[in-house]
Amino acid sequence: MRTFLAILAIAVCAAVPAMAADIRKLDLGKSAEVWLAEDHTVPIVSFNISMPAGSAYDPAGKAGLAAFTAAMLDEGADNLDSAAFHEALANKAIRFSAGTERDYLVISVSSLTENVPEAMRLLQLALTKPRFDAPAVARVRTQIIQSIQQAEAEPPRVASKAFTRIFFNGHPYGHPSTGDVDSISGITADDMRAFARTHWVRNGIKIAVAGDISAEQAQKLLGSTFQRVSNAAVKPLPAIGRLGAPGVHTIPMNVPQPSAVFGLPGIMRQDPDFIPGYVANYILGGGGFSSRLTQEIRVKRGLTYGISTSMSSYSKAAVMLGSVATRADAIRQTVQVVKDTMADFAKNGPTQQELDDAKTYLTGSFPLAFASNGGTAGQLGAFQRQNLDIGYVARRNALIDAVTLDDVKRVSAKLFDPARLTVVIAGTPAQAGARPRPAPPAAQPPAKPDAAKKP
Amino acid sequence: MTGSRTIAGLVVSVACLLAGSAPIVAQPNSDAPPPARAAAPQVFQFALQNGMQVVVIPDHRAPVVTQMLWFKVGGVDDPPGISGLAHFFEHMMFRGTKSLPGDGFALTVSKNGGENNAFTSHDYTAFYEQIAKDRLPLMMRLEADRLANLDLSDDTVGPERDVVMEERRMRVENDPQSLMNEQMAAALHLSHPYGRPVVGWMDELRHIDKLSAQDFYDHHYAPNNAILVIAGDVTPTEVRDLAQTHYGKLRARTLQPRAEFAEPPRLAETRMTVTRPDARVPVFVRTYRVPSYAQARPGVAQALEVYGQVLGGDQTAALYRILVDQKKLATDAGASYDGDARDAGQFSVYAVPRPGVTLEALEKAVDQVMAGFVANEARASDLSRAKTDLVSATIYRRDSQMAMAMSYGRALMIGMTVDDVNAWPARIRAVHAAAVNRAAASLSRRNAVTGYLVPGK
Repeated sequence: MRTFLAILAIAVCAAVPAMAADIRKLDLGKSAEVWLAEDHTVPIVSFNISMPAGSAYDPAGKAGLAAFTAAMLDEGADNLDSAAFHEALANKAIRFSAGTERDYLVISVSSLTENVPEAMRLLQLALTKPRFDAPAVARVRTQIIQSIQQAEAEPPRVASKAFTRIFFNGHPYGHPSTGDVDSISGITADDMRAFARTHWVRNGIKIAVAGDISAEQAQKLLGSTFQRVSNAAVKPLPAIGRLGAPGVHTIPMNVPQPSAVFGLPGIMRQDPDFIPGYVANYILGGGGFSSRLTQEIRVKRGLTYGISTSMSSYSKAAVMLGSVATRADAIRQTVQVVKDTMADFAKNGPTQQELDDAKTYLTGSFPLAFASNGGTAGQLGAFQRQNLDIGYVARRNALIDAVTLDDVKRVSAKLFDPARLTVVIAGTPAQAGARPRPAPPAAQPPAKPDAAKKP
Repeated sequence: MTGSRTIAGLVVSVACLLAGSAPIVAQPNSDAPPPARAAAPQVFQFALQNGMQVVVIPDHRAPVVTQMLWFKVGGVDDPPGISGLAHFFEHMMFRGTKSLPGDGFALTVSKNGGENNAFTSHDYTAFYEQIAKDRLPLMMRLEADRLANLDLSDDTVGPERDVVMEERRMRVENDPQSLMNEQMAAALHLSHPYGRPVVGWMDELRHIDKLSAQDFYDHHYAPNNAILVIAGDVTPTEVRDLAQTHYGKLRARTLQPRAEFAEPPRLAETRMTVTRPDARVPVFVRTYRVPSYAQARPGVAQALEVYGQVLGGDQTAALYRILVDQKKLATDAGASYDGDARDAGQFSVYAVPRPGVTLEALEKAVDQVMAGFVANEARASDLSRAKTDLVSATIYRRDSQMAMAMSYGRALMIGMTVDDVNAWPARIRAVHAAAVNRAAASLSRRNAVTGYLVPGK
């Protein structure tokens, strides 16, 4: 073992991705942030476009409006009805998708180089002349409602939805971005037209482009694509009050594997403590096999297939969020191990070795995000939505390397307070009983503890 | 553009080591069409003396490399009564060697800035790392180490078996659609082990122990049963030297021959109605047993591929256009061909009814659409769009080291060649309307299982 580890001790050079050097800004007016990573190896261009049209902008009583409107983005524009619009995309193999986050609508477009002008023409039509035809609206409405209904039977989605409601109590971040059956049923085509007009705007837009396109071409093409998109300003979101409702909230469901979602108030992205907090979270629960939570809950106890935590920061709030799923008779024990592991981490922090390992992972793996055009556009877009400047790409690894053990301990003590933890369990916890160990092969028929334990 | 297209998810018979890393479902084989710069990627292939095959796919955009080590062993090789052993064993490959005990493998990859994971299918098992290119020698050393020196113990077998049971609960038992897919596969394949879930039946997972794991390792994990695929910022010469150094010293082993399983003729359609309280939306699914790429005569698998696309590949395809847009019987509908198998392939159709439409009525409407492709040739514009989609996917794939390594690795695992992969786009383009006709006519209900997933107690 010694000889092996000696080899491994060489530090990973904290390489800045090669592409970072080539990332440049394009000019689409003061209210837009546009970055380009040019690379001509593969004849593909990827776009990641973010607009202030996330689910937090859903008006009261119309939860899901932003997401419903986004789902209509490829459902017809100008003289193309839904079927014609989809055919226009498919004829040129243009990949077009839209997702709704809390703050942003994120549109991803990928195209073969030769079809980029057509991709941008269709995007412009979708953004400026959406049709919201009655048949398409009715169809998508039913699709969304069926998806919501199915989600009501899935523990991870039930837990996540309830956690969001409880944690962001009353704020627009608190309603499910998909909406609920009642709100989706009540949304009209006029609601969507109004939402698109006021929120599908270039005031506050972020665009990341990567791949086989020159700066000159990109500048010209994006200029003409977004020229007709409104530049109106979007009304800012309200400030947020207290986050979280400490304790365990249980939503009974008769399922083989309950899910738990847990969280704490996080650290805002612009706070200098964000980076130390991010590193701390990696060590506690963000880092796959190397994380404390995975070690304690999966590796040592075999309680789950996966446990992870993450640090998210939105424009008005930040959250440290985690999730885990395990069998009904182990869910209480699992949540307790999460709390104990967190308490120990808050009190003692990581070891120097854990910190060093976290840094080499976080810095060394950074270039992996830039190994493809799609990956690069997605990563740059994520940075843009965090309001980071273009120079951050080059600075990022040095910021992580500068984190000290004291930084991590100080931030962890503040952040990881199990007494403040909001926990939502979807599923019905069962009493932990004597679970027979597996019988040797063929010795006797295996016991069926799970079937017997259902209440 | 809603998430509902994934509702029927069809059969993804792959299980993997870590949560959150869905297996990449790429088109199995293919390549690049006409534009000059989109010519076929350069792919290099050679073998080591111990029998390990090596494939190199250079991509110099970023100083990053992807290593995939594929083994010709999977769920079909599970011993009788111990389904899930191959997948469980994939997990055990992360449980330590004599020189790097415990979770040393994953921890070493992480602390060197790399990502890693693994997955198991019926026919193969693959392990991969993505990392800075100067770490490739270390990654090869780690893989070679666990290929020869795995240290299995009762202390790790027990908890890992529990982890796999949780994986099964998450992927299958908590998901009514997965449960029905599992039942349908069991019915479709009669006695062939494609009917056993890769993740294993719960009651058989309990039979896994250290002895069965050790036996599996000794008989399947060997350089002469492996294919190494390296994509990224490397040259073939550099990979040859490194592979020789790290893998070349491993001794070939006597492998347990793979069983040749019969695919007994099916004499009748199987139908099932699965009623579940956790199903909130009814679904109609039908799966046909059809020839795979490995089995089919030239052109036949490609015709099934094009038929799947033109029948139900996306929102412009016939099932969606007719059942969802025009007749308004369904909220979603699709079809696909999965020919990526050593033995039988599978052709699937599914549809989700609008509220108030019965599954019986929906099934009838699906059958009418499919009968239309038997009676008439597909429209030229539809056929052309379907082929464009399939062929373009092979260009998009070139944007990702992982997708490239996946496509060549998967093809070689089922007995196809690098040339087959490179020729795939041309073969897809060569599929004419008459061939799609024949593909449609070849689907027989006798070779199919029809499933209704119904909400209820």
